[in-house]
Amino acid sequence: MSEITIDVGERGIREINEDIQEAAKHYHTIIVRDTLSRHNLGIGLPKGVDIRFEGSVGYYCGGLNNGARISIENDAGWGAGEGMAAGHIAIGGYAGMSAGAAMVGGTIHVRGDAGPRIGVAMKGGNIIVEGKIGAQAGFMSHAGKIIALGGAGPSCADALWQGEVWIAGDIESLGVDAVVKEPTQEEVAEVDQILEPLGLADSSRNWRRIISGQRLWYFESRDANAWLMI
Amino acid sequence: MATAGDVGTDLVALMDAQAHRGSDSTGFAIYGIPREHGYVVRAMGFDRAMLGKDLEDFRYILKEHGADFLESPTWDNSVAKHYSVRMVISDPVDLSRWSAEADELCTRIEVQSVGRSLEIIKDDGDARTVADKHHVRGMIGTHGLGHARLATESAVRPNASHPFWARPFADVAIVHNGQITDYYNWRRRLERGGYRFLTQNDSELIAVWVSDQIKHGLTLQQALSASIKQIDGVFTYMIADVNGIGFAKDRFAIKPLVTIQSGGAFCAATEEQALRRVYPRGAKIINYDGPAQTGIWGLNARELAA
Repeated sequence: MSEITIDVGERGIREINEDIQEAAKHYHTIIVRDTLSRHNLGIGLPKGVDIRFEGSVGYYCGGLNNGARISIENDAGWGAGEGMAAGHIAIGGYAGMSAGAAMVGGTIHVRGDAGPRIGVAMKGGNIIVEGKIGAQAGFMSHAGKIIALGGAGPSCADALWQGEVWIAGDIESLGVDAVVKEPTQEEVAEVDQILEPLGLADSSRNWRRIISGQRLWYFESRDANAWLMI
Repeated sequence: MATAGDVGTDLVALMDAQAHRGSDSTGFAIYGIPREHGYVVRAMGFDRAMLGKDLEDFRYILKEHGADFLESPTWDNSVAKHYSVRMVISDPVDLSRWSAEADELCTRIEVQSVGRSLEIIKDDGDARTVADKHHVRGMIGTHGLGHARLATESAVRPNASHPFWARPFADVAIVHNGQITDYYNWRRRLERGGYRFLTQNDSELIAVWVSDQIKHGLTLQQALSASIKQIDGVFTYMIADVNGIGFAKDRFAIKPLVTIQSGGAFCAATEEQALRRVYPRGAKIINYDGPAQTGIWGLNARELAA
């Protein structure tokens, strides 16, 4: 047997996560029902398991993912996929604040919009949002790509480090030290390669690639202009 | 006319689902059908052995302001040293002046709400504990606020719990998630304007700040917007009066807010999972995750916020 169903309801989260971890040892597919937007579901799941959450989930779903393929039917609360190392998280609706925070690898795919600070302090991996991303997307991101097909809110890519934010659509405003660069054909091809498996590649998009202006990396602390940036 | 419903029961469910956010204390502000005259006063006394004397002195001040009890006061029957008392009073000649003098007894008996409609109930413990002790589930109303508190920068005392009454503005209450960093600057300014604060809690300040802005001519919507620009800190707060509930979120979008609307009723909470206690499935959730947001929910239907 390769599939099992687990009910959430009002049961304790520790008990549910123990059930999920145990199921991951024996089953390829896990369906989690009656999620009721509960927090901390499916934490630290291993490679090789395919888990589907029916309905919406609360905070930190799929956090510390270590290679599982996670699908959330509707919305995800704050911090979905936080600290994930590998695997794939698909969110069918809206992703709340700070999705993919501090992730180091893997992919998060949001079909709806995403809240503020998506990919905050991320250190690797890719986040793809089909809708619009909220304020301060990619705040202090160190590596990896945030790709938004439906535009960006205010202070986009604020205080970015070596991560990249790619936007197709309108940007309300850029964050501190964020710079828009015209992408090369090779860079666009690389992004399309990320989008291709999701069926989202489209060569007609007008991309804006946002990277760090590097003025915050090293600056003379006595330089008033440097402080005025912040 | 708003329809009254089981606001107490629903608010307890919402707060129980969020008890993990802090169970130092829990409080509820419930708006019943407004009285045409007279006020409901909710107060907390700090020494049950002094209850008779406290009420006697409280009534003396009331009479000096041309008012009296309209009903015999009632109080909780717990063994705790502090006690909660509910009084129904006739209209003082000047509510603000009476309130100021009643506060002279605040080290013995502290007024926690005054309103034609508003009743604030708060105490130590989680939602179930407070609800059981004060029979909150049986309370009927049009709308209300709830709060579960994790004390950070002020004392764990039953009277330091939310919601806070915007002393001395009748029927105005607030709940707040966050921290006001210019608290003392604003407190000094408001105290110079004659306002009194009975706790060191920054949330008490916001309620008075917003009410003072309205007193000086702003609409509620304008006051909410002004608070985002003028008050420093991270916050999501909800402020209520007999007509509905307003909310404001700071410029950094640090604190969450989600809402749900279903079948003519409306619910707002910090966490979506709390809303799912009242509406398990189906109805669409609206997230207010973005920065610098404000709004007002009026009373076209029974409305709740937690």
